[in-house]
Amino acid sequence: MASTATAGTAGEPFQLPEMYNFPPFFTRQPNESTWKEQRQQWCDLVLAYYRHNRLYSMSLAEAVTEPPFANRQLRRALRVDVLREIVDELVKQGNAVWVGAKNTKDTCLVFWRKPEVWATMIHQWASERGLLNAVLTVFELANGDDTAGQEFHGLDAATLRRALDVLQSQGKAQLFVGTSDEDLGVKLFA
Amino acid sequence: MRKAVGIGGLRRQEAERRALSQKGTELAQREIEKLREQVAVMKSGLEDFVRVHHSEIRSDPVFRVQVQRMCQLIGVDPLASRKGYMAELLGVGDFYCELGIQIIDICVGTRSVNGGLIELDELRRRLIQRRLKGSEPIVEDDIRRAISQLKPLKSGYRIIDFGNRKMVQSVAREMNSDFSTVLTLAQYTNKFTKEDICLAWNWDQDRIHACVNDMLCLGIIWIDDPEYSEPEYWVPAFFHSNYS
Repeated sequence: MASTATAGTAGEPFQLPEMYNFPPFFTRQPNESTWKEQRQQWCDLVLAYYRHNRLYSMSLAEAVTEPPFANRQLRRALRVDVLREIVDELVKQGNAVWVGAKNTKDTCLVFWRKPEVWATMIHQWASERGLLNAVLTVFELANGDDTAGQEFHGLDAATLRRALDVLQSQGKAQLFVGTSDEDLGVKLFA
Repeated sequence: MRKAVGIGGLRRQEAERRALSQKGTELAQREIEKLREQVAVMKSGLEDFVRVHHSEIRSDPVFRVQVQRMCQLIGVDPLASRKGYMAELLGVGDFYCELGIQIIDICVGTRSVNGGLIELDELRRRLIQRRLKGSEPIVEDDIRRAISQLKPLKSGYRIIDFGNRKMVQSVAREMNSDFSTVLTLAQYTNKFTKEDICLAWNWDQDRIHACVNDMLCLGIIWIDDPEYSEPEYWVPAFFHSNYS
């Protein structure tokens, strides 16, 4: 997972919300309207946390062992099935997608920025650099020197692929599948 | 001796009575006149006072409370209504109107988390936080006043005491006396268990169960149910205030 932080986010630890110290926050509330509110607070927290730490994908089983889903001091952690409900909500709101084996709901991509927005950024960068109509590798888009300092530098492969898919569907990109996902190529058009 | 029982006597008595009552009315009228004058003097004095100290009234909460007390003592409540001559003069009617709206906003906004029960101090903290910097400081008395102004809305806003904690309730319902009792139990620790209730009042299990369930349904309490121990019930309205 491309989880190395890029420009601008190093240092400052994430400010966890007040609710993180409220033990019942880690128990799914039985009352439906309270649960809706609780679920929304978790959704907001996930997006803020993932944005701050520039994280892109979540393995649910791993996630519940660490912040923000676990609070070691309180000895409380969210249960995987509860987190699954929360991610379901994120998916419904268009801020996440389930990935991996169908219907297992074990891993997801978290879109703290939507693929459409990444797509626009990438396209804008390419047109500013005069790189339209040139063939680029997807790897260099995310990790090359040319994109250093760009918001999308360090973007994980799966999210980047989603962004490029958006461009392709808009007729602004053509993907070339190589021998592996690593050497996927792309050509961007105006 | 002859009693005055004739027509003449009756007439004389009647005349005396009339004269007396006329005198009485006159006296009363004079008295009212005098009072009117006094009230008018007082009113204009108060108006002058308020005009002179206008900005202090708005900016100094202690002073504001004192002016209100004084006004109440002489039977006028200039700040209670927007239409009052004084309220217009002061713009303080707007002040409470505005505060009332902000209170509603905060109460409604936090309702899904705290079941319509917010600690007065927490409400005050949030009010201060959301009001523009440099606007008038808010004291408890202001909140009480603004809430009492919300009465015509019949929205059920009121202030209730649980032991030593003052809470603002924003959902119109009678606070079940079992709820209040249980909440008192949580006033220092923010939480309780079913066993705590049993130990404190020896209620039977059904009563405890029903009470806890109802409170959960209303969102007044949240359950903390870790795998390895008994569930604990937390009062969000109490919890937040620890972080002010």
